[in-house]
Amino acid sequence: MTGRTAAGRRVLVLRCPDWLATNGPHGASMPGDSAAGDSAAARAFEPVVAIVENFCPQVEVLRPGVCAIAARGPARYFGSEAELARKLTEAVGRSGFTCQAGVADGLFAAALAARTGPTGLLVPPGETPEFLAGFPVGVLDMPELCELLPRLGIETLGQLAVLPAAEAASRFGPPGKLASRLARGLDPRPLIPRPPAADLSVQLEFDPPAEQSEPAIFAAKALADQMHDRLAAAGFACVRIQVQVRCADGQELSRLWRHDGLLSALAVAERVRWQLDGWRGTAGITLLRLVPDQLVRATGRQLALWGDSVPSDRVARAAIRVQAMLGHDRVTRPVLAGGRRPAEQVLLVPFGDAGEPQRPADRPWPDQIPAPAPATVFGMPLAASVTDDSGRDVTVSGRAQLSASPAWLAAAGGPVRAVTAWAGPWPVTERWWDPRYVRRQARFQLVTEDGAAWLAAVQEGRWLLEARYD
Amino acid sequence: MGTGVAQVISLSPARHRDDVLTGEGLLPVLPALRELLPGGGLQRGSVVTSGDWGLLALALAAGAVADGAWCAIVGVPAVGVRAAAQAGLDPDRVLLVAEPGPGWAQVVASLLDGFDIVLLRPPEQPTAQLRRKLEAAARRYGSVLVIAGDWPGAHSRLLVTDTEWTGIGAGYGRLRARKAQVIAAGRGAGERPRSAWLWLPGRDGAVTAAAEPAGIAGIDYSGTTLAGPGEPLVSSG
Repeated sequence: MTGRTAAGRRVLVLRCPDWLATNGPHGASMPGDSAAGDSAAARAFEPVVAIVENFCPQVEVLRPGVCAIAARGPARYFGSEAELARKLTEAVGRSGFTCQAGVADGLFAAALAARTGPTGLLVPPGETPEFLAGFPVGVLDMPELCELLPRLGIETLGQLAVLPAAEAASRFGPPGKLASRLARGLDPRPLIPRPPAADLSVQLEFDPPAEQSEPAIFAAKALADQMHDRLAAAGFACVRIQVQVRCADGQELSRLWRHDGLLSALAVAERVRWQLDGWRGTAGITLLRLVPDQLVRATGRQLALWGDSVPSDRVARAAIRVQAMLGHDRVTRPVLAGGRRPAEQVLLVPFGDAGEPQRPADRPWPDQIPAPAPATVFGMPLAASVTDDSGRDVTVSGRAQLSASPAWLAAAGGPVRAVTAWAGPWPVTERWWDPRYVRRQARFQLVTEDGAAWLAAVQEGRWLLEARYD
Repeated sequence: MGTGVAQVISLSPARHRDDVLTGEGLLPVLPALRELLPGGGLQRGSVVTSGDWGLLALALAAGAVADGAWCAIVGVPAVGVRAAAQAGLDPDRVLLVAEPGPGWAQVVASLLDGFDIVLLRPPEQPTAQLRRKLEAAARRYGSVLVIAGDWPGAHSRLLVTDTEWTGIGAGYGRLRARKAQVIAAGRGAGERPRSAWLWLPGRDGAVTAAAEPAGIAGIDYSGTTLAGPGEPLVSSG
């Protein structure tokens, strides 16, 4: 029984590469909001989870596109781990998704094994440290440590694993301790072997049954708060959270979500939303239950997903209510992002989702418009016509020479207004290194007689209005 | 229990107030805007108009948001979020509902119960009945409704009148700052109109008080020194 040794439990990770390529954060390189895609993907991933669930009732969704199960039980049932992995990938394949399956000791190694080779890899019990040894430390996903370690000559997990654990911990602090455990094929944190005496789960019954998912999502947030309070009082955090939903017709839907002590109550409510959206029972919901799974000692990690601005319950409730009316994606929070054009500088993240801009705002963006910024930014630039004194279109040559001074501006079918002041052209070439996205523009600022000021651009011979200063 | 309902209603605004903000029923505003508003702030439960959509609407919300309030912006698909941030309106505390759809009034009413300030550009001219409904919602929840557009019966009406861009000429410089006169009228017949000159926005995008233009009315020479010809628009990054 090698599996029960220090190397920990056998884990199978299933990964849908196509999924991650189209929906994942490291997927398509087109500028766009990965956060919005993430939630939509989570909902659409539900059918795959349902298939995996036929093999093992306890499926843990790591993130959309990747899920994990404990391999021991089902492997015994199907004869071997290899047989289980084969049957599982086949079943998922039949539903139209390609997937990779990796089996190893512990979640971290299994996730890496799933990424290895076209179909994933089975690492025999006890061989996980050898399997991990060859990987660069970069796979740890700890940016600071991954930068530091190679400079100290530690480039692979194998080199990290031979460092005594105590040394790693004292030298690099808690991240070092975690990295060291992972490199040796251990679970990130030792699980508390015995569940605490008190039941820390929370639940709410609906009488009469809730016909729509909204009341359950509301309740989930309050329940999650309650559960977090209980966990905190007991000094625990949970690695995973199990969301159980029971319907009036007796059907039950249960899902495990990765928590790691990091999900806010709102984020838990969001997981419940994904779960209910992906699965439409015919009968009303009678019971919602949140069960903290795999308890670990709380290490004082913050429960904040929002940075400094955690919406109060009242704010969240109002926002969720409007989402219920209009749809999840139509109620958004703006996040400043990097970019040269004003319209690129904002990412709209649906309320309740966590979004990090792909293009951080705090990097230098040459050719960015300096302050003051325009108060109105058109998502799609407006077509415009700019003419000179004699009514001829103003053009810009390839060498940024103007044909004449702009005298009149007409915006998208609007009235013609006299231009009282203007400046430009400022040539801008974006993404010149990539012929697919290269964009050449000549920018202008124009002030019209009504006191409005515009940010305009000439692109491929056409005048566009990108923003208005008003 | 005849008093029960009345008690609940009268307690409601207080419940909201202790959530984030100072008492007194006033939401703070940027210093430059204080003299435009009766009491020097936004009266909770009131409706304020800001003329057409623009920086003034964002600036009206900035002071309260800096003080911990939350702001929802409804019906404005083209919000300049960076401009809002430069004016002091922290995007972290903003919710955008760009297209509230045909049931926009219900959306606004729901947001008023939760957000301290709702900026609304009504998608259509609201009927008197809808206006009364939303005014009642603002009163009940102790929130402030800022309207970009027309709203008969608003408690305060702000309007940008004269504006003058500085830093830009005929083919040189760039937009640096805008000096604007804002006039405000209250609802009461006896209330005097107020007026202030503002940088809307100033050179760094902030909204601050500006000196009244001296010299010949309507002509402002103060900006001509701000930028020389041929100054690049690109930031050095």
